[in-house]
Amino acid sequence: MRSINLHLKILIAVLVLLGASITAYQIFGLGIPITQDETDELWSIDAKVTFTATPHVPVKVQLFVPPLTQGYVSLNESFVSNNYGVNVSRVEGNRQLTWSARRAKGDQTLYYRLVMTKRFGSDKPREEKGAITRDPIVLPEGPERLAAEALVAPIRQHSADVETFISEAIRRVNNVNDDNVKLLLNGDTSTSKRAQIVDLLVSLARVPLEKVHTLRLAAHIQQNPELWLRSYNGKDWIYFNPETGERGLPSDRMIWWSGDGQLLTLDGGRKANVTFTLDSSQMNAIRLAQLTNSSVETAFMDYSLYGLPLQTQQTYQTMIMIPLGVLVILVLRNLIGLQTLGTFTPVLIALAFRETGLQWGIGLFTVITAMGLSLRSYLEHLRLQMLPRLSVVLTFVVVMIAAISLFSHKLGLESGLSVALFPMVILTMTIERLSITWEERGANHALKVAIGTLFAGSLAYLLMKIPQLVYFVFTFPAVLLILVGFMLAMGRYRGYRLTELVRFKALLKED
Amino acid sequence: MFGLIKTWKALSARGIMGINRRNADYVLKYNKRSLYPVVDDKILTKQRAIEAGINVPDLYGIISTEHDIGKIDTIIEQHQDFVVKPAQGAGGDGILVIADRFEGRLKTVSGKIVSRSDMEYHISSILSGLYSLGGHRDRVLIEYRVIPDELFRNISYEGVPDIRIIVLMGYPVMAMLRLPTRQSGGKANLHQGAIGVGVDLATGLTLRGTWLNAKIEKHPDTAHPVDGVQLPDWDGFMRLAASCYELSGLGYIGVDMVLDKDKGPLILELNARPGLNIQIANDSGLTLRAQAVEARLAEMQAQGIVETAEERVAFSQGLFGHVSRPTATL
Repeated sequence: MRSINLHLKILIAVLVLLGASITAYQIFGLGIPITQDETDELWSIDAKVTFTATPHVPVKVQLFVPPLTQGYVSLNESFVSNNYGVNVSRVEGNRQLTWSARRAKGDQTLYYRLVMTKRFGSDKPREEKGAITRDPIVLPEGPERLAAEALVAPIRQHSADVETFISEAIRRVNNVNDDNVKLLLNGDTSTSKRAQIVDLLVSLARVPLEKVHTLRLAAHIQQNPELWLRSYNGKDWIYFNPETGERGLPSDRMIWWSGDGQLLTLDGGRKANVTFTLDSSQMNAIRLAQLTNSSVETAFMDYSLYGLPLQTQQTYQTMIMIPLGVLVILVLRNLIGLQTLGTFTPVLIALAFRETGLQWGIGLFTVITAMGLSLRSYLEHLRLQMLPRLSVVLTFVVVMIAAISLFSHKLGLESGLSVALFPMVILTMTIERLSITWEERGANHALKVAIGTLFAGSLAYLLMKIPQLVYFVFTFPAVLLILVGFMLAMGRYRGYRLTELVRFKALLKED
Repeated sequence: MFGLIKTWKALSARGIMGINRRNADYVLKYNKRSLYPVVDDKILTKQRAIEAGINVPDLYGIISTEHDIGKIDTIIEQHQDFVVKPAQGAGGDGILVIADRFEGRLKTVSGKIVSRSDMEYHISSILSGLYSLGGHRDRVLIEYRVIPDELFRNISYEGVPDIRIIVLMGYPVMAMLRLPTRQSGGKANLHQGAIGVGVDLATGLTLRGTWLNAKIEKHPDTAHPVDGVQLPDWDGFMRLAASCYELSGLGYIGVDMVLDKDKGPLILELNARPGLNIQIANDSGLTLRAQAVEARLAEMQAQGIVETAEERVAFSQGLFGHVSRPTATL
């Protein structure tokens, strides 16, 4: 006996230690979050380049792609092209993608796909620095120069610093009724022309200004790169809306490239066109961490439950909680001394509650069981054998459930429909066992057992559906080892059950 | 909370055994699972007992299939009264006691007339497993109807009182007389409302009793005091119970016996998980007694002695009996 006890103690110690250290390694070593953060958005951006190749001429397509220095991180980048060579180069803070082929014929389609997400809060990369000053753009003598100078004077007057200067300049240029502006625009009121004028005005004050081309992170809308202006103040980049002069870049804008360059340059072809398609999907923070972490840890993650297909993961999220439900029953029965119907029936009922919700579940359970019991007591008079009787009760339960679903649907109660999955075999067996208990031990005992079962089931259900707990157990399945350790210890628990303290109270009374 | 801890400590000091301790330290430790069928199936128990020469109610016949139900007539032909029992029933359920015949029909103890079809239905329900543990198929046992000794007339309501002795490794540890009440429907099952009355292991004198977890002194139906009744042939009961260890091989059992008017002590059945209310009936804890037996066992093992049933009974009576006697074995 002593050797068994020692054996058990060692086993429990090993299991608990193993479970605790694996979990600790996951939390502290791998940095897996303990609680489930909100899901992060995952963006998938397709840039589709189409053109018609000129025969017998080498083709070279150059496309700006995002430098990804801003606060986004790329999860996957792919260049879909048939027989083109692909090369990515960095040009003045931009990234440029070059597709090249010796010869191509007819309509060509090339794809650039980027899957990316916002970078996790802490580790933002340092942005590139910009110039703080520059030489003014010198215009030739003439009306344009006069108009520019005429515009700059009031801007200077109405501004306090570089930022307000730029804002004011943008505001003035957008006032197209101004004669000076009209002259400078020369009939071209496009955004890029206006930006160019702003650039000119600002340069007269030696303030640097840069054009940035952004994409809006919004799914399923047609869009072209949007122009923004930015200036470096020595610490940060300050962004301006070229239409309104408003400061600050909205958080849903992503910089695609900066400077005056064209998005697409094509040699050896014509009718070039770029269209953008954006799509977003939600992704669990942990999965993202797994994707962005290309280091050694990935191998470990591959063997965690997150390595399973999403659909299967959901099943396991339910399954992995069952031991916790069982633990509830164990504690209730062996420590508290609650009487339940069968050993694991409460767990099955708890699983059934997942479909119906607690209130509906308890209501249905009570109604169906009560009606089933009355049917069973009627069948008792007919003296049927056990199997046929069980079959009748089961069929009755199915009909009852169908009827309840139908009525609640007609009454417009949605939750009545979820009943369909309420396990009817569990109900049938519950009815049968309850009715036998009733006959053998009396109505009081049967009621006590039924309430105990419902109580245990509800408690197990409530515990099994706490999302934080589900996440924790699913992410750190090693805690189940600790659970097993506890269960093993319970296996040799010799103390009293709570109800026994009441049961044996008579023994302590002095006569 | 504080009160509970106090209760816990007090119970623990008195050596009261809880379910968890009974299961972990005694049932699981001393009862080999493979031997359970011997006690779970009353037919097997009876056969073993007969082989060992231990007194049991006579077996009239066994019905194992639906087809055999017709055999009932030839089985009961020669017997005026008899008992129909499920072989694997628990808690006295499914037992039909036929006390008399009435114009070719059967009549139960309480006077209810049982028709032939009633009887067939009852047997069929037993066969289909209605009363068996786990609900699997069962056999039907038809046996001698025990007629309780006149002694119990005043302290029992219908039914047959039985005597339960808890036996640890062949040493009787505690004894109790179980008296049916109106509430228990004539069944000698404490959970159903029968009374448990403690019995002095040494003398066979009854002590006070327990009814529904409370202590009592009088039978609720007859209002006669339950204590101070001398059970006849007490040493016979003790020897019978002690010898059930060899019979079953199980180390921790409750032996249920009856006292028949004509045949004396008979073994009814064995129970591998005897209940704990016997402690209230005896106003005494099982743990301390069980530990004393375990100490004795270790001592005997060290000396290489295997005690006979008589020696074990003497040891138990000497140690656990209220009346002190000169003991030869201690």
